[in-house]
Amino acid sequence: MDETTANSAGLGTFVALLIFIAASVWLGTLAQRVVEKGSFLKGYFLGNRGLGAWALALTATVQSGGTFMGFPSMVYSSGWIVALWIASYMVVPITGFGVLGKRISQLSRRTGAITVPDLVRERFGSPAAGLMASLLILLFMSFMMVAQFKAGALVMKISWPGSGALALAEDGDGLDKYYYLGLGIFSLTVVGYTLIGGFLAAVWTDLFQSVMMFIGVMILLPLTVIAAGGLPAASQRLAREVAVRPLSAELREENKAHVEAVEQPLHHLDAALRRYADEHDGRLPQSLADRSRDDGRVEAVSLRLGEPQFLAEAPHAEAMPDAETLRYFGADSTIDGLTSQQRTLVALTEKDSRGWQSALYSNGKIVTGKMSRPGALATGPGPFEFLPLGIAVSFFFQWVFAGLSSPAGLVRIMASKSTPTIRRSIVLLAVYNMCIYLPLIVICICGRTLIPDLQEQQSDEIIPRLALLSTSPLPGGSLIAGLILAAPFGAVMATVSTYLVVIASGLVRDVYLRFINPHAGEAKIRWLSHLMMVIVGAAALGANLNPPRYLQTMVILSGTCAATSFFAPAMMIAYWRRATAPGAMAAMIGGVFSSLSLYAAGWVKYHEIKAFSPLGLDPIIWGLAISSLLGVVTSLCTEPPDEARLSRLFDAPAPQAAAAEV
Amino acid sequence: MMTLRTEDPLLHSARREALVVLGVWLAACVYTIGYCYAFGYGRDPETLSFVLGFPDWVFWGIVTPWSLSTAVSIWFAMMFMSDEDLGAEPEEDEAGNIIETEAAHG
Repeated sequence: MDETTANSAGLGTFVALLIFIAASVWLGTLAQRVVEKGSFLKGYFLGNRGLGAWALALTATVQSGGTFMGFPSMVYSSGWIVALWIASYMVVPITGFGVLGKRISQLSRRTGAITVPDLVRERFGSPAAGLMASLLILLFMSFMMVAQFKAGALVMKISWPGSGALALAEDGDGLDKYYYLGLGIFSLTVVGYTLIGGFLAAVWTDLFQSVMMFIGVMILLPLTVIAAGGLPAASQRLAREVAVRPLSAELREENKAHVEAVEQPLHHLDAALRRYADEHDGRLPQSLADRSRDDGRVEAVSLRLGEPQFLAEAPHAEAMPDAETLRYFGADSTIDGLTSQQRTLVALTEKDSRGWQSALYSNGKIVTGKMSRPGALATGPGPFEFLPLGIAVSFFFQWVFAGLSSPAGLVRIMASKSTPTIRRSIVLLAVYNMCIYLPLIVICICGRTLIPDLQEQQSDEIIPRLALLSTSPLPGGSLIAGLILAAPFGAVMATVSTYLVVIASGLVRDVYLRFINPHAGEAKIRWLSHLMMVIVGAAALGANLNPPRYLQTMVILSGTCAATSFFAPAMMIAYWRRATAPGAMAAMIGGVFSSLSLYAAGWVKYHEIKAFSPLGLDPIIWGLAISSLLGVVTSLCTEPPDEARLSRLFDAPAPQAAAAEV
Repeated sequence: MMTLRTEDPLLHSARREALVVLGVWLAACVYTIGYCYAFGYGRDPETLSFVLGFPDWVFWGIVTPWSLSTAVSIWFAMMFMSDEDLGAEPEEDEAGNIIETEAAHG
């Protein structure tokens, strides 16, 4: 369809990707050297608690392949409202480190905890609570990891020279030989370097990709803004746009007569407008209604039949659309060539009985399907009710609480070097987030002007496509595009290797060493850790040979469950003396149970996998509330915890130091 | 409090900081969503004005508080948050085996 965009990445892209892979493996081996210095477990799974500010800041929060694929795609299809969807990232730097950071790092040192379940077990003195935490983490992380493998394979496929990709769809049959090749290379690389370097390898590659992503965004921002003729122009164009969900090929075929009857008059209108524009330096008329200028010349195009005016001379005057059923948007716009990529909305028909509308664009393109109201891309709640108020509120909880209590994030905090590190991380991340998310929004808004035609399933590729399009005139453009393309790949790799470490450490430390063989020697632990990573990697690879149908939904569900089941326990661990093991377990179960049951209710109610949202609020808010309530009530109803343990964890370390303090 | 020993100073400062952070979060949430809902939702696109190319409600409702939050975060990290000793680990095992093996009984 869109033949003007490059449809396959050049060689430079592929080279950039190889450089990326090589760099990751190199970082893995570097990490290995550091790991070798201390005890194996603490080095391999926690980097000897030596994370500096950069590593902590740019890796500990919820960043994944999604940042470079899913989010831009959303801005592209839903417009400015997505800025509100992501807005809570403005406080993620302080919530992520300021709420639990200091206290969790301290507690993990006092208890010697290496994993989150370690911390739960030691804080409450309860192996059962620890086991529950391990099992939940293993379950959630597995789903999330499996999904990332597919994303990795797809990016790899895009950059394969000659794969003809960039036309791939998220669903459909993207599963060709390039997909499997991509999947194979991706799995080998990521399992390989994670296995070599463990936790630090995951952190360092994560840091590396975050920096690359930053550079990519900084390069892409001026290129796209300039190409789009400035943000104001792109923004104003968007304010007149409609978001479209075109009819599928099948629906179009089924309703051929109906669709043609609606579209035919628009073709005639287009022809008439082109004739008008020819005589007016390419400008479109101010309106379609009658209006004569002072000098007697007709300035507008009339749709009224039989009028002796401009359109009356058009060959198909009698077949023109009726002014009553049409809204005209062409004022102050110019007509574009028939092959032009750029376009503005010219006319839109009213909804028919099926709710379909047809749009005519300035490049002569006509689209029929479901349409948002005009301007929905520049106002709330966005096209197709993208972000109703309740959901907007929910996302202010989602990013903040999922970020601050995610098990993978907590582990990074446990690994931080000192409190100055945590403070510097806040500053770094605050600046980083602002420089990544706001520019990404701007880039994708401009992207809509530059590449207006991507459909829903293709819009995941907006960043790769923009990269290829906007760097092609530059010297070495292919390589620059490659580096930008490599960023999502790196993000996916980093996410996978983080999950790999958490899952392997869970299996080894929290299951094997705790319940099967507490006295295993270091050689055995090392061997087992490697084995676990290979097994987990192979399992994820296996699952992706034929990706499960509801994978994406399971990922969302897992994410919600993880956020709702660990926030309350983490707060109880850090700040509440009276919290008990049964309380923590109730909070974990409560979070999972409430999220799951709202999804189950949604299934019953809507017959699709969709959450039931009482009061318009997402499961995450209900889950957090129920989990916290259960945690508090159960703690108060159970026996108070052991005072000696509490004193060790909550009181100043030495009496004389404490006396001096008061 | 019935404890004889004083509460850990880190716990004290961490709790205070956590409360401030949650306050900032709440303020950001209320302002951002409130402003965007009031001026961005159901807005007639014809009435939109643009600030630096951003629709007015995005600029005042999101870009501005985002910049402010960044400034607050930097202030919080540099001026407000206190440094504390994170403490040492218990019973470090030289051989590199699992740290504090028997504590689970306690």
